[in-house]
Amino acid sequence: MTAQRWVRLRQTVQYLFLALFLYLFILTVKDRWSPLPVDLFYRLDPLAAISASLAGRTIPAKLLLALVTLAATLILGRVWCGWVCPLGTLLDLFRFRRAKESANRVSPRWRQVKYFLLFVVLVSALLANLTLLVLDPITILTRTLAAVVMPALNYAFTTLEFWLYGFRPLQAPLAWLDTALRSTILPAELSFYQLNGLFALLFLGLVSLNLLAERFWCRYLCPLGALLGLLSKVSWLRRVVGPGCNQCRRCGGECTMGTIEPERGFASDPGECIVCLACLGTCPQGGIAFKGQWGLAEWRSYDPSRRQLLASVATGVGGLVLLRTSPMAHREHPYAVRPPGARENDLLARCIRCGKCIKVCPTAGLQPSLSESGLEGLWTPVLVSRLGYCDYSCNACGQVCPSEAIPPLTLEEKRQAVIGLAYIDQNRCIPWADNVDCIVCEEMCPVPDKAIQLDEVQVLNAQGESVVVKRPRVVRDLCIGCGICEYACPLNGESAIRVYVPNEFEYWELA
Amino acid sequence: MREINRREFVKSLIALGATTLGAGGLLAQAACGPGPEKAGELAREPSSGPSADQAYLAVARGGSPAEITQQAVAALGGIERFVHSGDDVIIKPNICVAYHTYEYAATTNPEVVATLVSLCLGAGAKKVRVMDYPFGGTAEAAYERSGIKEAVDAAGGQMELMANMKYRKTPIPDGRDLQEWSVYQDVLAADVFINVPIAKHHELARLSLGMKNLLGVVVSRNRFHSNLGQRVADLTSLVYPTLTVVDAVRVLMDHGPTGGSLEDVRQMDMVIASHDPVAADSYAATLFGLAGPDVAYVKAAAEMGLGEMDLSNLKIEEAQV
Repeated sequence: MTAQRWVRLRQTVQYLFLALFLYLFILTVKDRWSPLPVDLFYRLDPLAAISASLAGRTIPAKLLLALVTLAATLILGRVWCGWVCPLGTLLDLFRFRRAKESANRVSPRWRQVKYFLLFVVLVSALLANLTLLVLDPITILTRTLAAVVMPALNYAFTTLEFWLYGFRPLQAPLAWLDTALRSTILPAELSFYQLNGLFALLFLGLVSLNLLAERFWCRYLCPLGALLGLLSKVSWLRRVVGPGCNQCRRCGGECTMGTIEPERGFASDPGECIVCLACLGTCPQGGIAFKGQWGLAEWRSYDPSRRQLLASVATGVGGLVLLRTSPMAHREHPYAVRPPGARENDLLARCIRCGKCIKVCPTAGLQPSLSESGLEGLWTPVLVSRLGYCDYSCNACGQVCPSEAIPPLTLEEKRQAVIGLAYIDQNRCIPWADNVDCIVCEEMCPVPDKAIQLDEVQVLNAQGESVVVKRPRVVRDLCIGCGICEYACPLNGESAIRVYVPNEFEYWELA
Repeated sequence: MREINRREFVKSLIALGATTLGAGGLLAQAACGPGPEKAGELAREPSSGPSADQAYLAVARGGSPAEITQQAVAALGGIERFVHSGDDVIIKPNICVAYHTYEYAATTNPEVVATLVSLCLGAGAKKVRVMDYPFGGTAEAAYERSGIKEAVDAAGGQMELMANMKYRKTPIPDGRDLQEWSVYQDVLAADVFINVPIAKHHELARLSLGMKNLLGVVVSRNRFHSNLGQRVADLTSLVYPTLTVVDAVRVLMDHGPTGGSLEDVRQMDMVIASHDPVAADSYAATLFGLAGPDVAYVKAAAEMGLGEMDLSNLKIEEAQV
């Protein structure tokens, strides 16, 4: 096969994996059939698997598939990065001409940042913390798609079709298109995600780094790339430069990872090479080849050192101590309502921040937390009932969670799982404050015996007449905290009934 | 060719844009004619009253849901009294939540709905669409769980997922409290609109019957509750159904509208039908030991002259299957 064919094959594989990733993302919908597990890319992600196993002190069965990626890396090197990773493929699509030049100004020493991040991730995982998995490339992409791209597309399409629907001749085709899109790609309703602006900025920032160097993220920052890079130091397939090299420098110009170094005889570092094969065809002497050989590759100045290891241990331990001794971590979190079955301690040690539950939640009630559960719980799922309730007919979050941070409850079990308790704000609730009937919360309550009861009370209304008004009261033993009452409360702004984390839940214990 | 500078380029871009928008606007206006949101009045004719041999209100009981539905409609003069060849028909059952199967009586009996679909198609309807807008769970899930999707598909009808864009602000000329609201336009434009509620308990309205079921065709329905009776009546004046068929096969006596316990369900094996939504609801109220005036929206609708609340002078045909 010619060099050009190899590159084309690699690109085809990249696009296929990107398409598969998007396809599985779109299929992450309650009750939707999928030919493959929708969390396939997480199952293949060894960083998620290793850190979740370390933190949860148990190996999540679904994540065993990551062994395939590890084995492939030991044989072929960082092929995950060059051929599979959907974020890497996206970054390949954003190539800037100026990056070729500016890349020379980025010191190779920056490459060690990714190793440092990797060690901090692993050290924190040992201490039952997974916060830094927000830097895993698959989580970054999923989160950005779920909380930024999909809601934006949905909003744009919904407002556009609403406007176009005003024109008679367009109504029939629009109705058809609406049904077609909403039963496949778009959700039925508009959805709103907190922190969407932040996620958009972070993602833009990540892509903009490509202006400084191609695949800046993969070269210098990605902790998953670092893990695979370390393994690639002993991988079998190596790039070798033949004796005919006349130092034309063309191969270096094509290398997206910038790992071909003229001063080292145009050799590359297997820990940095993503086996994209772009250099193969550039050599006029035909001197570049990928051949099998065993052995440890040369240790470079930017590769992890003992000092760096110690520094990352100190950072991990010190950072966690700081996080856990902040008042934010210790105080009780009244609104950190978790998905059904997930307990706070378990969730923090198991949640890989993958964003699947946030995507699958049909009401968009599950939201990435910012401070609701302390900074350690960054971007773990919380139910924000004012944005969406926990649907009584749904147990999808537990089904899609790859790390069992949300247990896979049956629908019957889920209906029994208490995630919070509703409290009425009598100062604002319409029947309490204004002596006018409302009962929306009672009507909405899905519990068969109704966790909201109405008490008939004789009161004076605004006109001074004696009337009977129905005042809602929450029955503590029945309420499951689904939040549909908070969601539907007709008051503007904040609801007059709010779901709080129950008092008897344990929030904090020494891990 | 002369190169243009940026300023000129922007200028011509603006000119081009303005021309396109202007022309597009004119064309669009010419193409549209009066849009549905301007109409505000019913596109369909309200169904005429019964002839001498037809019942004003029909009640059938005792048989299977299909049998009693057919019987009740037959007593009114058959479906042909309401549906004509080539008609666009919308049937609106109560599919308020995705939580339970129909046995729990929170959602309309699928067999009743499917029977109406078959009758309409038999009368030559061009298409028969069935739809509701659940408040608990997704419409997709609710259609499935209620059993209505399966039954309607088998009968040859179409389940429509109600699209947000079809809710348009619509004036309510006869409204006493509501002057306008966002209403599902297809329901206004359909030739025939059949309302198929299930009779059930509701804390605020006391009962959820036919007119209450019309809340499924508006947005922000929680804002109705501050004056529910009058507002439901106002809405009825706008979307006035051609035919109301109250499903009382299994009736939810308590913990409505969501239900969830079979202990709250009473089997009555009954269907009530009338062209008059007020009379239908007034009769249905008697199943709960109440009367029309006990239900605020029935009373308000009667006061607006939308139908007969007083059943004593009506020709009511009761059939035992």
